[in-house]
Formats: sequence, C-alpha cells, structure tokens
Amino acid sequence: MEPGKMALPKNAPRDALVMAQILKDMGITEYEPRVINQMLEFAFRYVTTILDDAKIYSSHAKKPNVDADDVRLAIQCRADQSFTSPPPRDFLLDIARQKNQTPLPLIKPYAGPRLPPDRYCLTAPNYRLKSLIKKVRIFIPRLSVGAVSSRPTTPTIGTATPQTVSVPNKVATPVSVTSQRFTVQIPPSQSTPVKPVPATTAVQNVLINPSMIGPKNILITTNMVSSQNTANESNPLKRKHEDDDDNDIM
Amino acid sequence: MKGNETMLDFRTSKFVLRISRDSYQLLKRHLQEKQNNQIWNIVQEHLYIDIFDGMPRSKQQIDAMVGSLAGEAKREANKAKVFFGLLKEPEIEVPLDDEDEEGENEEGKPKKKKPKKDSLGSKSKKQDPNAPPQNRIPLPELKDSDKLDKIMNMKETTKRVRLGPDCLPSICFYTFLNAYQGLTAVDVTDDSSLIAGGFADSTVRVWSVTPKKLRSVKQASDLSLIDKESDDVLERIMDEKTASELKILYGHSGPVYGASFSPDRNYLLSSSEDGTVRLWSLQTFTCLVGYKGHNYPVWDTQFSPYGYYFVSGGHDRVARLWATDHYQPLRIFAGHLADVNCTRFHPNSNYVATGSADRTVRLWDVLNGNCVRIFTGHKGPIHSLTFSPNGRFLATGATDGRVLLWDIGHGLMVGELKGHTDTVCSLRFSRDGEILASGSMDNTVRLWDAIKAFEDLETDDFTTATGHVNLPENSQELLLGTYMTKSTPVVHLHFTRRNLVLAAGAYSPQ
Repeated sequence: MEPGKMALPKNAPRDALVMAQILKDMGITEYEPRVINQMLEFAFRYVTTILDDAKIYSSHAKKPNVDADDVRLAIQCRADQSFTSPPPRDFLLDIARQKNQTPLPLIKPYAGPRLPPDRYCLTAPNYRLKSLIKKVRIFIPRLSVGAVSSRPTTPTIGTATPQTVSVPNKVATPVSVTSQRFTVQIPPSQSTPVKPVPATTAVQNVLINPSMIGPKNILITTNMVSSQNTANESNPLKRKHEDDDDNDIM
Repeated sequence: MKGNETMLDFRTSKFVLRISRDSYQLLKRHLQEKQNNQIWNIVQEHLYIDIFDGMPRSKQQIDAMVGSLAGEAKREANKAKVFFGLLKEPEIEVPLDDEDEEGENEEGKPKKKKPKKDSLGSKSKKQDPNAPPQNRIPLPELKDSDKLDKIMNMKETTKRVRLGPDCLPSICFYTFLNAYQGLTAVDVTDDSSLIAGGFADSTVRVWSVTPKKLRSVKQASDLSLIDKESDDVLERIMDEKTASELKILYGHSGPVYGASFSPDRNYLLSSSEDGTVRLWSLQTFTCLVGYKGHNYPVWDTQFSPYGYYFVSGGHDRVARLWATDHYQPLRIFAGHLADVNCTRFHPNSNYVATGSADRTVRLWDVLNGNCVRIFTGHKGPIHSLTFSPNGRFLATGATDGRVLLWDIGHGLMVGELKGHTDTVCSLRFSRDGEILASGSMDNTVRLWDAIKAFEDLETDDFTTATGHVNLPENSQELLLGTYMTKSTPVVHLHFTRRNLVLAAGAYSPQ
C-alpha cells in the first residue's frame, strides 16, 4: 500500500509490463502497485464490452464475421454513453445567463424546515407492509356485532373476513392478536376507493386497543396508523404539489 | 482532439497579457522591424494585450501574477464595485452590555482597533458605504433559536483570547485513525460542538466533540405523548436510547468530497463524486434531500453564513447557488476553464469565491451571477480559500505551496506567503483576523501574522489603475510558527470562538 513502489518482478505477466510502460509513457511516475491491476481490469472490461457490442451489430447486419466497421460503430456508441465530458463553455455561459436573470425568490417567514416539495425530498416512507392475509380479500366493512365482545366499536374490526375467525383467539394469545391487528390495518390502505372508511376504522382501532392489548402493541398499531395515514394523505398532497413545480428545467 | 473542451477553450479565447505602454511600444517596434509577420500574426490572433500606463513591472511582480491558464485578468474584469463590508447585526436584547457586534459595521479599516469604544457611539445607523444594503439579497429572518445562539456567541466573544505575534493560539489536532487514506472532507460547526468527516467509502460520519452525545428525535408516536408545554421540551423530544458519540450517514454512492454544517446546526450538507449534494437532518440523522444538477463529481459545498443558501462547485466547471427549498439551483456561476475545486461564501453572503484548477480565483455576485473579480497568480490548481472576518481580504492556497492574499475592494494581490512545500489544503483566519493559519499536505500547520501583512497598503488610485502592487518579500517575518504533525496532512482548520485552533487530518503512515 505504499505509493511510489512500482518495481514489477521480471516474471510478471506481459500485460502488466505493457501497462507499466504505458503509465510511464503518459508521465505517471508514482502510483500504487494496485493501479496496474486496476488498469488491466479496466482495459479488459472495455475491450470485451466493445467486442460484444460489435458482435451484436454484425449479427444485426447479418454479416458472417465481425468487421472493422462494426467495431468502429461499437466504439462510437459506447463513447457517447460512458465517456461523457462536461458541457462546453459557451453552453454553460448561455444557461448561466438564463438562470441568473430571474431574481432571487423571496423567503417566506415562519416556514419551519425549508425543504423542496415532498416529491423532491427523500422523506417519504420507502416501504409498505406486506399483508398476511392469504384468502381472497373482500373489504366491505361489515357489522359482525356478535363476534367478539361487548364493545360497540368492534364492528369495525370485522372489516376483513378472517377477523371473525380470529376473534376467539384474541383473549388467548396476545401475540397472534397483534398479527391480526396488522391485517386489520392494511386492508383499509389497499382499498383506496374507500378512503374515508379506513381513516375512521384506523382511528377507531386505536381507541379499542389500549385496554385489550399490552402497551407494546399500542405502539405498533399507532405506528401503523400514522404511516397508513401519511400514505393515504400523501396521495392527495402529492397531487396538490404538482402546482409547486418550477417552470424552468435545467 | 476535436471534442476536447480544453482545446476548444484555448483555441477560441485569447490569452491575456498585461504590459506597460512603453514596453508594448518597444515590442511592436521590434517585431515590425524584423519583418517577422508570423509572430505578429500570432500575437494579434491569440493574445489580448492589455496595456496600462505606468512603470513596467519588475520580473518579480510579473512572476507573482502569471500562472493562470488563460493569462492574467484584464483590468476591466476587476473594476466592478464590490460590497465587501459586513451586514449589520440585528439588535438583540442582551442581558450583558452590548459587545463588538455593533462596532463591526463601522470598521472598514484593516487595523482591528478595539471596537468597544466606537460601539457606544454607533447606535446611529450609519451605513458603511462598502457594505451591501440589508435587503440586497433575501436572507432568512432570525428565529428565536438563532437569537439564543447569537447571545451565546456574544458571551463567548468576551472570553476570546486576543491573538498576536506574542500570543499564539494553541492548536488541538483531531486525527482520524484507521481511515486508510479515505478521509476526503471535514467540517466543524461554528460553536465547535460537532465534527463531520466525509469518506471515500461514501459515508459521512458525525462526531460530537463535547461530552454531550448525539441524540436523534423520538418517533412520531412517542412525540405525541410528551408534554408540549414543558420548558425542556427540546430535551424531551430527544430519544435517549439513540444516544451515541458517532452517527454514520449512508446515502451517497461515491466518495464524499465536501461537507458543511448549517449555522443553526440543524442540517449538514455533503457533496460527492456521484454528482449530488445531500442535505442531512442532524435531528433525525437521515437524509432529507438530494440536489441533482451537477452530473459530475462535486468537489466542494458550503452553507451561507446565514443559512438557507448553499453553493457547490464541481467537475463541470461551474459553481451553483442553491436554496434548501428549491430543487434546482438559483444561480449558475460559469466562467472557469477547469474544475471548480473550492467554493466559499463572503461573510455578508452577497458574494461567492471559487477557486479552480485553471489557477484562477473568481468572485461572483449572488444577486446577478456576474463575475466581479478575477485573481490570477497561483501556479497550480487552487485547493483552499478563506475570507478574512472583516470581509476585505481573501487568502488562497494552491498546489504550488504559496498562500496569496488579495484585496477584494481593489482587486489586487497584496501578499504572498511562501513556506509550505506541498499543497496548501486548508486556510483559516482567526476570529478577529489577526492570525492566518494554513495547513498543508506537507504535514505542517503554519501561523502567519495577518495584521502585519495587511498594514501599509499602498492602494491609491495609481496602483489600482496599473493593477499591481509592490509585494514585499516578507514571508519570513510574517511566519509566526510552524507546527509539524506526524505524517498527517492537515485537511481542515477551525478557530473556536475563543480563538483556539482545531485542526483535523487523517493519519497516513508512510
């Protein structure tokens, strides 16, 4: 790992010696020994990519062999793709002139954290919880009053058919009830046409839970509520933010 | 060859040479006498001869100013008026007596007299003619937390050590061990409580310098449970379970070459080889925004001294000015012929200085994107820039090992500090501008006497017209101390509010 030591052993592969000579010719005198390996790898990858592309082009042109023209075409196409260089100076001056003409926007007071519109931020949840229900889902909120207990709000739990089955388990195993709670929460989000209903069901589920399940589960369900609510609410919000776009595109 | 941009730039633009009228007459006569039309044609086509009236320059002066890839700066390039004064500090009710804050706007002189005497008399709002109007560019208003910060700042200022040739600062060095030459950027907050490191493995790591650990904000569910009316609500929102000395921020897909804390310590910016600049929240330690615009490595980024704006410069030869709430840049500063290596805001946030691999330093106006100053003189790509606290001077360091001092108002080089033997990669003025500290790849930190370097400047109209000043050879007198490290290049320098020097670098054993 010491820079400057580039003495290759005499029995190094011919390619490595050639690469060392190339580096010397380009005026590079100090480099780590790993640089030779890296350059050889790059050269190999580049050549194989070009030749693969050339093979594809020649077969496209229904030629029996790979031609010099194919290789030339392959080089040209790859150069436009991988080896891009920064835009030319006059282009930069031009767009700079355009961009610099608009006055600096005024700053709104009392804005909290000043961030771009949500679609340009990385603050949205990047996950969605997988539903555990395997049966066909019919998400019609039903009043299965007699299902569980005397609580009048239980009908909302019965939004998913499995609930009627799972209900007797509720008292026995809190853990399984927790998992059932997950499934209750998720269907509302998937049934997006029924938006107002899930909001209410979600909220009401929060009300039910504290007394029936332990504190750990409260946290889980309220998290679900908040994430689902944001997922639901972010959709209408996202549409609103279309108007916030700036007009000029860089 | 056809597509090479540097070649095109050289062929289309003219190399600028500055020459006195007498010398020019001599040259013209000589070339015409010799009937050598070839050379005369080349001169006419590719050289732009900027003639000035006055004494011809000595070899030493010429050597000091040449070096840029496009020749020297034309005189009219440095003629625009630059508002280099500082903005007035807002009035804040302070429990203690008012300190230096209100005296700052009066001082345009290089000598930092004790402003206390003037501050009492300067209650009248006398506008510094060199300071920009307060509303020249929109700046965010001060929040309560900012006002508290300012009060803390003022309290710390009273305890600040007055530095000078006989009172040198102590240097506290933070060495990054086991970085395997992967440390590529460092920044320290203004109150010296946090230090961030950008690494070649694309992570950004934030450490707490003080014993106070780093905590992230609680989850939304927990936040709804706390009492919002309590006095220590800012403590209660922090989750104790996440307290740690170090936080690692993942998100970039390439080495992180620039890092900058926001003045209110809520955000951290990092710029990377993947072409994006990322804004991280220091309350949740997650990434908030990725600003895409440069499609090439971004070598440096910095927050404005007032927050909200930030500037970034990269391989695409432009620097961009952004605001945190706009996903596209607000200004594009185009003009350099090669990569922009270093970008810094002026203390009044109205100007941005950029140092480039084309060996020039340009000063740009934030309001309209114009280049108002071009400084040539370095003989290598520029890697470090810093403004003096009074806003009048700029110090630059490059791979040639020299630190050059520039007067922004007049657009002249006013000092040259020789001593380093390798790239000067970090520069910082002390809090009151008395000492300039420079850190270099030759593993040393050098301290220079800034007051002496800037006094006795002959900046009358005559020298401004000619565009150069006689530079005294006084590097040895100005050097106050050289401090060696054990094979650790000094990547970053920072003066705490009490004028203690913090330096940072990664130990690289040879």
